[in-house]
Amino acid sequence: MGELSRDIGGGGAPPARAGTPDGAHGGAHGGGATPAGGRRASVMDGSWRPAAMARSAVSWTSALYIAVSLAFGLGWFVTLAVGLSLSLGLLIVWVGFPLLALLMVAWRFGARLERRLVRAAFGVAVPDPYRPMPESRNPFVRLRTMAADPATWKDLVYLGLLFPLTLVEFVLSAIVWGLTGTLLFMPLIVLFGGGMEINLGQVTYWSGNPVEALPVSAVGLVVLAGALYVTRGTAIAHAAWARLMLGPNASQAENRELRQRTAHLRASRARGVDAAEFERRRIERDLHDGAQQRLLAVAMDIGRARAKLDQDPEGARELIEQAHAGTKEAITELRDLARGIYPAILTDRGLDPALSGLAGRAPVPVEVDVDLPERPPAAVESIAYFIVAEALANIAKYARATRASVRVAREDRWVVVEVTDNGAGGAVARPGGGLAGLADRAATIDGMLIVDSPPGGPTIVRADLPCTW
Amino acid sequence: MRVVIAEDSVLLREGLVRLLGDAAIETVATVGDGPGLLGIVEEHEPDLAIVDVRMPPSFTDEGLRAALAVRERRPGTPILVLSQYVEERYATDLIGGGAEGVGYLLKERVSDIAEFIDAVRRIAAGGTVIDPEVIGQLLGRRRTGDPLEALTPREREVLGLMAQGRSNGAIAQDLVVTEGAVEKHISNIFAKLDLQPAQGGHRRVMAVLAYLGRAAA
Repeated sequence: MGELSRDIGGGGAPPARAGTPDGAHGGAHGGGATPAGGRRASVMDGSWRPAAMARSAVSWTSALYIAVSLAFGLGWFVTLAVGLSLSLGLLIVWVGFPLLALLMVAWRFGARLERRLVRAAFGVAVPDPYRPMPESRNPFVRLRTMAADPATWKDLVYLGLLFPLTLVEFVLSAIVWGLTGTLLFMPLIVLFGGGMEINLGQVTYWSGNPVEALPVSAVGLVVLAGALYVTRGTAIAHAAWARLMLGPNASQAENRELRQRTAHLRASRARGVDAAEFERRRIERDLHDGAQQRLLAVAMDIGRARAKLDQDPEGARELIEQAHAGTKEAITELRDLARGIYPAILTDRGLDPALSGLAGRAPVPVEVDVDLPERPPAAVESIAYFIVAEALANIAKYARATRASVRVAREDRWVVVEVTDNGAGGAVARPGGGLAGLADRAATIDGMLIVDSPPGGPTIVRADLPCTW
Repeated sequence: MRVVIAEDSVLLREGLVRLLGDAAIETVATVGDGPGLLGIVEEHEPDLAIVDVRMPPSFTDEGLRAALAVRERRPGTPILVLSQYVEERYATDLIGGGAEGVGYLLKERVSDIAEFIDAVRRIAAGGTVIDPEVIGQLLGRRRTGDPLEALTPREREVLGLMAQGRSNGAIAQDLVVTEGAVEKHISNIFAKLDLQPAQGGHRRVMAVLAYLGRAAA
């Protein structure tokens, strides 16, 4: 065991990560519809204070989108209206079919583009809702799949209604931003326009120079805040609509999550199977190289002793002594091997005594601290035990440590196992090595294993195992 | 001397009976499971019960539980527990109710016949015999602020031998020092661990084991 290599004194070995950092805490348990991926600002959350909104880039990208989206809306409206009426009209002469197919591909592309734009402008992620495409390269099969997918038709509705929607948005924002601009830049207008009649509610005066127009700019600031709110509200409405029409619905989202989960489980099962196979090979090797050879030697000694018994009793006695010692060594080896397969004390008494036993057999002083309110499931106990066993074996072999500590504690839904030493560091979980195998075993129960070992130490091997296995 | 044996492996059971018979120790009854032990102990009132830890029906620590039951129902019955593995927790459980007449050994120690028979006689006479591996485990385990840290390596060695139930003379022989030196080490150990100095073999062992057991529990 213990293929953990130590890169002592060599070039900086980076801390190795083994296991499935994404699988355990991330994806599989992640929330559903929240904007995933990059942690960028979104119109959905974020501060509502005008100053914060004015500073936030997403306010300005939203405003920009609203300003230009009327063009998209109009473009799609015309394309769809002309394309659909043309292709429907030509269906009788069959030309309509390829035209309709072309149009469908086009609007699906348009919807994809729109998802990107919505994400870029509003910071709201809209995942693709499409059914997976068939493996077939046959274009007819692919087109049929597209046509049968409700998401395709929702795309059409969205793009068809994009024009009226963006028209309303455009007019609304043109009014508020036009007003804001006019008021804010009143001093400039006065400067170049040569004076203006100012009308501020009760107060009316003739402004002949930019300074006299400054109070108007102040009013403009207030209106700017209003414009930001209008933009924000419009953006939220648009994003919500886009999510509704372009995004997956609840069951699709669930499906997607289940698919990801299935893929993750399949991968972890494969790792588990590999780890089990590896373990069987190791046991076979240990049996073959160890106890089997020793017993063979014993058998030979006894055989020779029997042959010598009459002529050379003294030599026979020596051989029997040797055989006796050999059997004892074989017993010790078998016992260690059996303990390495599964320690009986773990079933009987749980982690604390089992780990204490491990610590007691370690060549360096090991502090053990197990704090579990109740016994975790057997699979978790076993994996935790073997992680500690492997880590301690590695410490003994490579770390040049003078002391180590083992901590096992319940943290939320996790059993956290931490083995720390004060040795040389630079440990790497090599593929096919003992620690990597344990990371694989941990992955089978959705746990993960991290090795953090900067050159110079200290080395921390930490495993997070779910206790609801 | 009369003994009873609880051991599920026929091979080992018959081997033990023969081995003890060679040393003129009579085996009056044997059983193959844990629950049967108490019955034969009550029936035969032996000088010693030899018990295997792992036995049917549960194949976990059946024998240990049977041994504890015997200690509870018939205190003072000397018991030798044999185990494929030594675990400090088993040992501390076993000596929890007093270390007089208690033995806990690896199964394979049986093959060193002279030593094994000696251990059997010592336990039957009320002594304590604990496998060196257990002592190693007990001494190996460390906690922050552990008074064991204060011991010198030589003192730790002496503590380990004491815990196994060795006499001062035997310890001195093992370490190739004088008995006076051993006594000095022992008084240092007792002072450092804050133990009451105790005279006599098993009481001293008890004090040490109780201390180690407390640290491990």
